[in-house]
Amino acid sequence: MNIAVLIKMVPDTESRLEIVDGKVKEDAFKYMVNPYDEFAVEQAVQFKESVGGKVTLVCLFSDNPGIDTDLRKMMAIGADEAVVLRQEGYRGDKPSTNSKILAEAIKELNADLVIGGVQGIDYYQGATGPMVAHHLNIPHISGVTKLELNGEKITAKRQIEGGLQIIESTLPVLVTAQKDMTKVRFPALKDIMMSKRKSFENRSVSASEENDVETIECSLPPARDGGLIIDGESPEEKVDKLLEKLKMEAKVL
Amino acid sequence: MSSILVIGEADGKEIKNISQQVSAVAAGMGDVVGLVMGKNISDAGMKLATAKIILADDDKLEYYDPVKFTSVVSQIVEQNNITKILMGATTMGKDLGPRIAAELRWGYLGDCLEAGSEGFVRPAFAGKVLARSNPEGSVVVSIRNNAYPAGESWSGSVENFSGNIPDSTTNTISIEKGGSGTVELTEANIVVSGGRGLENPENYDEHIRPLASVLNAAAGASRAIVDAGWVSHSHQVGQTGKTVTPDLYFAIGISGAIQHLGGMSGSKCIVAINKDPDAPIFKVADYGIIANLFDIVPVLKSKLSN
Ligand SMILES: Cc1cc2nc3c(=O)[nH]c(=O)nc-3n(C[C@H](O)[C@H](O)[C@H](O)COP(=O)(O)OP(=O)(O)OC[C@H]3O[C@@H](n4cnc5c(N)ncnc54)[C@H](O)[C@@H]3O)c2cc1C
Repeated sequence: MNIAVLIKMVPDTESRLEIVDGKVKEDAFKYMVNPYDEFAVEQAVQFKESVGGKVTLVCLFSDNPGIDTDLRKMMAIGADEAVVLRQEGYRGDKPSTNSKILAEAIKELNADLVIGGVQGIDYYQGATGPMVAHHLNIPHISGVTKLELNGEKITAKRQIEGGLQIIESTLPVLVTAQKDMTKVRFPALKDIMMSKRKSFENRSVSASEENDVETIECSLPPARDGGLIIDGESPEEKVDKLLEKLKMEAKVL
Repeated sequence: MSSILVIGEADGKEIKNISQQVSAVAAGMGDVVGLVMGKNISDAGMKLATAKIILADDDKLEYYDPVKFTSVVSQIVEQNNITKILMGATTMGKDLGPRIAAELRWGYLGDCLEAGSEGFVRPAFAGKVLARSNPEGSVVVSIRNNAYPAGESWSGSVENFSGNIPDSTTNTISIEKGGSGTVELTEANIVVSGGRGLENPENYDEHIRPLASVLNAAAGASRAIVDAGWVSHSHQVGQTGKTVTPDLYFAIGISGAIQHLGGMSGSKCIVAINKDPDAPIFKVADYGIIANLFDIVPVLKSKLSN
């Protein structure tokens, strides 16, 4: 079974967000593997371990080599190879452009299953997965909390409002992972050593299509000031004052 | 003249409130056509607050399926000279929107906080940055719950979809309901969240769930207690959980790490209960109580029950 895993590199969650001239200042960003994508890697490796096959990581990013170590960590989990698509001017907020490029690379892999994370924790559009599936002309199932492989079929549990949608699909299909899908293992030292010898291909690519919406201005949301600390002699008094405020001042009760 | 398509969602015999919110936004932007897809959705679909309503009521559409739904939508887009598609940022909207955008080669804007003829604002970096755009081309847009008031239903013209519904290689077997009476986090007007300050999972069940239930609220959680296995990930609020924008958010025994704030700082009113006066949650809270949560929450619950 050939499995392709979509990996997005996203700014570290502790990154300082500063706006200069309506744009987010990005030059000091450090990048990490999108946390949802790690669940996808783990799931792909588990399937490979049970039925055999190959797991290929496909990552689209800029020329910045600073991400290689983190990608190697994903290989230590058990992925077999990585194809890193290097695009000048890559941006994480262009799902239409990016999905087209990713789909081109995945076509060559003859993947039975494509797995990615449900969304990038940079722009939260959750768009790349469904768009890649469209370009590959295969169905997709997003936000999956449990994925089972039975022969030529998969069964997925997809989180929806108030419950789970249980979906069966033939292969090939694209699935995006929610956090509960797997528990990501800590690779053993020997796997970390081994990962250094695995195939890691850098390939330059360029964008062919532009349907993405251009952002004209970024801003920081109005800062929330620390509010009112409610004093009182006793828990009763504090709660009474709080309820009074919620009803009369904030009008939310 | 070009029109705007609103994709509504039925919830039993009712139309979802978020769909009415989206209809109201669309009404301010031009001519609106509504579409509701599903099985036995006609009663609900007719309540959608748009002048013209198209119902795609078919056995084949019983469960949401991106391939089938995208096909229906693109046929309607072609027949009605549509240039914008708006829908709620529900689990369906967030899944369907990008697929439609790819099919039509349009732009996509997910989870917008503002939408109108002057453009769109969507959050980036878990709401820590707001990105404004004003696309000239056609776009598919999903809009976050609670960003706008709902529109009122009125009797518009109703048509039935008569196009073709393709087969799909995915098949929904069933829907598993997640515990009766639980309010969905992203749709709730009030969210009560608990964190590590609760000390153990039993206290979550004893303090957070009952308080949520008294308030008809959804129960949320910090990642610390999700990782500890006290509650499932579907409760997690934050950068790697759900983003919620209720009218009222309670953070109980939650420190207010930046990743948690990302998921809830868009709430209209935030209440924090924490024993540490320096907890960062107080920097975003509208009302704070510095105290032991075990002293406060039972009193709060009993006063609210009366
Ligand atoms: C990549 C990444 C993604 C993340 N995503 C998320 C996310 O989506 N959501 C999220 O929540 N976190 C996320 N985190 C984790 C985040 O950094 C924090 O670790 C987490 O939010 C802490 O949870 P907590 O507030 O429950 O626990 P703690 O930080 O341990 O805080 C517990 C609080 O309870 C208070 N307390 C203790 N006892 C009492 C008492 N008796 N009465 C009153 N108060 C009491 C303490 O004063 C303290 O402030 C993420 C982290 C990373 C690195």
